[in-house]
Amino acid sequence: MDWLATTREAFALLFAGDAELWQIIFISLRVSLLAMLIAAPPAIGLGYFLATASFRGRRLLIVLTQGLLASPTVVVGLILYLLLSRQGVFGSLRLLFTQEAMIIGQVLIALPVLVAFTISAVQGADPRARETAVSLGASRLRSAWTTLLEVRFGVMAAVFNAFGRIISEIGCSLMVGGNIAGVTRNIPTAIALETSKGEFAQGIALGFVLLVVALGVNFALAFAQGEGGGK
Amino acid sequence: MSIPLLAVEGIRKSFGARRLLDIARIDLAAGESYVLTGENGSGKTTLLRVLAGLESAEIEACRYAGKPVDLHDYPKWLRHDVIYVHQHPYLFRGSIADNISYGLRARGMTASACEPLVREAIAWAGVGDLLDVPSHSLSGGEKQRVALARARVLHPRLFLLDEPTANLDAEARHQTMKLIRDLCDANSTVVLACHDREIIELPHMNRLHMESGKIDAQDGHAAVG
Repeated sequence: MDWLATTREAFALLFAGDAELWQIIFISLRVSLLAMLIAAPPAIGLGYFLATASFRGRRLLIVLTQGLLASPTVVVGLILYLLLSRQGVFGSLRLLFTQEAMIIGQVLIALPVLVAFTISAVQGADPRARETAVSLGASRLRSAWTTLLEVRFGVMAAVFNAFGRIISEIGCSLMVGGNIAGVTRNIPTAIALETSKGEFAQGIALGFVLLVVALGVNFALAFAQGEGGGK
Repeated sequence: MSIPLLAVEGIRKSFGARRLLDIARIDLAAGESYVLTGENGSGKTTLLRVLAGLESAEIEACRYAGKPVDLHDYPKWLRHDVIYVHQHPYLFRGSIADNISYGLRARGMTASACEPLVREAIAWAGVGDLLDVPSHSLSGGEKQRVALARARVLHPRLFLLDEPTANLDAEARHQTMKLIRDLCDANSTVVLACHDREIIELPHMNRLHMESGKIDAQDGHAAVG
């Protein structure tokens, strides 16, 4: 295989505005951004709660969340497939092989990442931040918001890490999305398909986009941390 | 005798076998100033934090202005009356004005209503020349003055100040002392934990000496046990 020619072809596809290629990129970004929008608020709230509350079983829940960080995405996909398939508990919703199913799967994959990183950020916060807010008369909600703002770079790291994980995951998207062209084919599933067919140009182009997104997210975080004093 | 602003009976707190607090009774009169003295670990900070509702302890009874209150479930109205300032105050990210207006905004005040109060607080604390300095870049003394202004702008009836002049250089200590004297001269009740002789010997200061979690010596208006 002529790598140089294939790479040149890949960039030609990308910059010529190949409709099929850009549709795949659009689906990927749409599904993952919507999943983040749905998962982030409750997960950050839950992370804050687990980091600050005291109740029986809290430690177990934290360990469980940290354990779920390593859950294989294909297993999440398998469980979701069983739930959404026609014979499954939610079969009547007819969500299997839709973008909605992919979003649900990515929400489930993002949740433990967001919760675990938020717990870590809040536990690392200076306890005086919350105490000062409380002493100045802030409500429980306001003092939580203030604490999260004080550790916002840790929370942003949670969001960017979760986004990085879901935009590049293939197992769940393949299982519950079905890799249907123009509907559920996203960047990772398209790369796998094109590579299996020996069509490397599209795979390289999509891989390049995925790398740019991943690096871009990390540069954005590094820039934000630099602006904010790095904490 | 008039009703004390804060009267707490039977404050007890332990950490393992170690007794951190064992106070039969403490009464704080309205408008009076108190200084808690004692060695490190004698329970001064813990007592202030318990009174501020930031730490739990066994408490037999507590009355604020004659009204029974539960310090474990610190009511909102009491939170508006009592302010605790850490030994090393924490300033939120942002400007000095953001920090000073925090409590006012938490009470639902609009930005325009906050502005004159914040301006007055900045002038009182003498931090007008630091307005453009990010809060995390301030020195210990500057942070202390901003924290005192942030507390005073809320007009609490009870200030709980933990070692406000500790670890400050001579100039910063002098500026902070001026603010503390001003707070003590005003109508509020001020309780300070400190080792600073200048504060301890301030006129009209009630001295409470703590040892091993107990208040073992007193003068002035505080009823203790």
